Amino acid sequence: MTNTQTPAVRTRPAAPLAVARRPSARERGTRLLAALFLAPTIVGIVVFTVVPIAGSVVLSLFHWNVIDSPSFAGDANYREVFGDSTVLVSFRNTLVFMVFAVALQLLIALVLALAVNGRMPVWLRSVFRSAFFFPLVLSAASISVVMKYLFNQDFGVVNWLLGLIGIAPVPWLTSENSAMAAVILVYVWQQFGFSFLLFVGGLNNIPKEIHEAAALDGATGLRKHLTVTLPLLSPTLLVASVVGIINALQVFEQPYVLTNGGPGDSTRTAVMVIYEKAFEQLRFGEASAVGVLLFVLIMAVTALQFRLSRRFVHYQ
Amino acid sequence: MTDSHLSRRTLLRYGAYGAGAAALAGTAASWERLTGADIPGRDDGSLVVATLGSAFDQAAVRSLSEGFRKLHPGIRLRINAVQAVDWSDFFAKILTQIAAGTAPDLVYVATEGVQLFAQRLGVPLDRWVKRDGAELREYFADVHPSLVESMMYEGSLYQLPVEFNAADMYLNKQVLKRAGADFPAADWTRDDFTALLRDMKRSSGSHFTPYFWTNRLWGGVVPWLFANGTNLLAESKAPGGSWLWDTFYPAAQRRGRGGGFRWTTPQATDIRVAEAYDYLASLIQEDLCTRPEGGNGSNLVGVFSTGRVGVTPAGGFWAGGLHLAGMRPSGYDVQYFPRWRTQRHQFGAAGYALLRTSKKQDEAWEFIKYSARRDTLTQLFKGNQTTPARRSMLTGTRYQETGPAHWQVFYDTLDKFPDTGPIPAPPQVAEVEQVLLKHTGTALASPRAVRPALRRMQGDLEKAMERDV
Repeated sequence: MTNTQTPAVRTRPAAPLAVARRPSARERGTRLLAALFLAPTIVGIVVFTVVPIAGSVVLSLFHWNVIDSPSFAGDANYREVFGDSTVLVSFRNTLVFMVFAVALQLLIALVLALAVNGRMPVWLRSVFRSAFFFPLVLSAASISVVMKYLFNQDFGVVNWLLGLIGIAPVPWLTSENSAMAAVILVYVWQQFGFSFLLFVGGLNNIPKEIHEAAALDGATGLRKHLTVTLPLLSPTLLVASVVGIINALQVFEQPYVLTNGGPGDSTRTAVMVIYEKAFEQLRFGEASAVGVLLFVLIMAVTALQFRLSRRFVHYQ
Repeated sequence: MTDSHLSRRTLLRYGAYGAGAAALAGTAASWERLTGADIPGRDDGSLVVATLGSAFDQAAVRSLSEGFRKLHPGIRLRINAVQAVDWSDFFAKILTQIAAGTAPDLVYVATEGVQLFAQRLGVPLDRWVKRDGAELREYFADVHPSLVESMMYEGSLYQLPVEFNAADMYLNKQVLKRAGADFPAADWTRDDFTALLRDMKRSSGSHFTPYFWTNRLWGGVVPWLFANGTNLLAESKAPGGSWLWDTFYPAAQRRGRGGGFRWTTPQATDIRVAEAYDYLASLIQEDLCTRPEGGNGSNLVGVFSTGRVGVTPAGGFWAGGLHLAGMRPSGYDVQYFPRWRTQRHQFGAAGYALLRTSKKQDEAWEFIKYSARRDTLTQLFKGNQTTPARRSMLTGTRYQETGPAHWQVFYDTLDKFPDTGPIPAPPQVAEVEQVLLKHTGTALASPRAVRPALRRMQGDLEKAMERDV
């Protein structure tokens, strides 16, 4: 007799194989189209950003003077760079420049954005917006050439104007004490327009009701800006400071044209050292090592900013 | 648990990817390095000559090309005028072209780069000079041996000088008149110079600087070092070169000549170097001269021509510059650099260097000879934007329109002061110049800063000179 009973112990039925559904022809077409649209950007990033960064890292491990073939150097370039006082001073200058330039740039941009956002005719607001943004579209090198004339100790307009109110000529570009300040002033004058535009946009996005409610609660003037405007503007502030810091850490044109890094090394920046080592001294390996260190510094500062932003940035 | 088995199809796909990548890597590795010259149409077979863009105007470049084509119709010529603010910037751009694999055949190189190019990139011209000696005899007879010697490196000649500029003193005659001062004598001294600056300052008010100078290798501190009988780097002569001197120069002119200059041991802490810096620091303290400003002195023409500067060191190139700025020949004049311990002057010269990478070296030599011809230089230097290397070209007619009245000073700086020499420019010149500019800036911040800055300069120069370029 055939046992028709269900066996007491049965193996668990095998799970059905997860068979991936083949995308339809329409889906494949959409994906292909998306890939095609993304391709130019991705290729651009790979060719002009990823490959040069990788190339710099590799080159930093070689001695190369353009003329002869590169030879493997191991960590010699990094040891050389860490032992080079000019490099260390240039990084210190870059950090000092970054702190003061970005702080000044954000402060001026914020104050002006608040002022322009206040009550004034629309046409006047447009004039101010254009005027503040205008320097940003000019070439940094051209501006620096003009500023070099203006800040000349003996023949510059700035000292001439100071002389009219009885102030003695200031050696703006030829004294270790004032050269960095002059470079920062020129840089901020050109760059603050970008932060200004961001702040104007950010201020416009803050609902008026919040300000009205704050006013009803008795918050006015500076207190209103500190307790209401700034927290609500903090995401914009984060973007402006991240971009500002990255740009400031890569400053080159202004110190190169205005002071050529001097007097002494007082305005020499990290990117200037990269240029000098590579294109004047033909030490491309060392220049790449400085470039890699600057890259690491920028990444670290940016990461720190994003980490701090968790505490200080408020999203509505 | 995941299924670790790969399907046959997946295996085949990854295998194909791997094979493709390996083939691509193998192909790339087996190819020679691609360079800019491999771009279709880039290398059209022309003889490529790189010049400093701002040195010659468009019309001059056109006449240079057309004249050569008439003489050598079989050689295609392309003049590549590289825009640059100074020689250092120019060399950086040429080296970028070399790195990109698009090296020119010939490069216009000034003293600043002569030894760097000679050591690493250049071809000695000796065999061609010997071969075409008869043709070149007239050229060498017209060119001062100091200029030729400055283009030699370790016994070989690398360039035929076509222009030079010695640092003489330009004086604004309106300022002289205001100060009630006479035009200085040829043998004026450093003390005469200081007294003149004081007179100028007294008579010209607060928005006036008697002496303006630019912090750079040519015409900065170096002329004062030369005048005080010293140099930034110990100077000597390489052996050799007699093949050239014995062939082209009479005994009187070849005496003391060698195979080119050698600049070796740094001597920034030498007492005479310190004296030169002390002197400049004292002028700054007295408000008689500008603080060391870096750059190419581009704003100087304006302030000199309008009488806000009284004296400045410059070469023959400034005659053309001041004329273009609207200064009348009667408004200024030129005199030798003042005497201190010596009256040795400094100069920089320039000519075409032939690169080792050139595949058209014989054609390039023809261009070098052509570029040194009198008629070529006459066309090229019409505007007095430099001092021609050929003595016979410096005439009253040439300087009639632009001035200065004492135009003879330009070539007499070589003829009357036979020890006049080139600025110190070893193969490590880029770093040497950077160190000089950097520490000159700090040394002249105050009189007390001179010696500490010179000690740091010495240390940095020693490091720079130890390096192989």
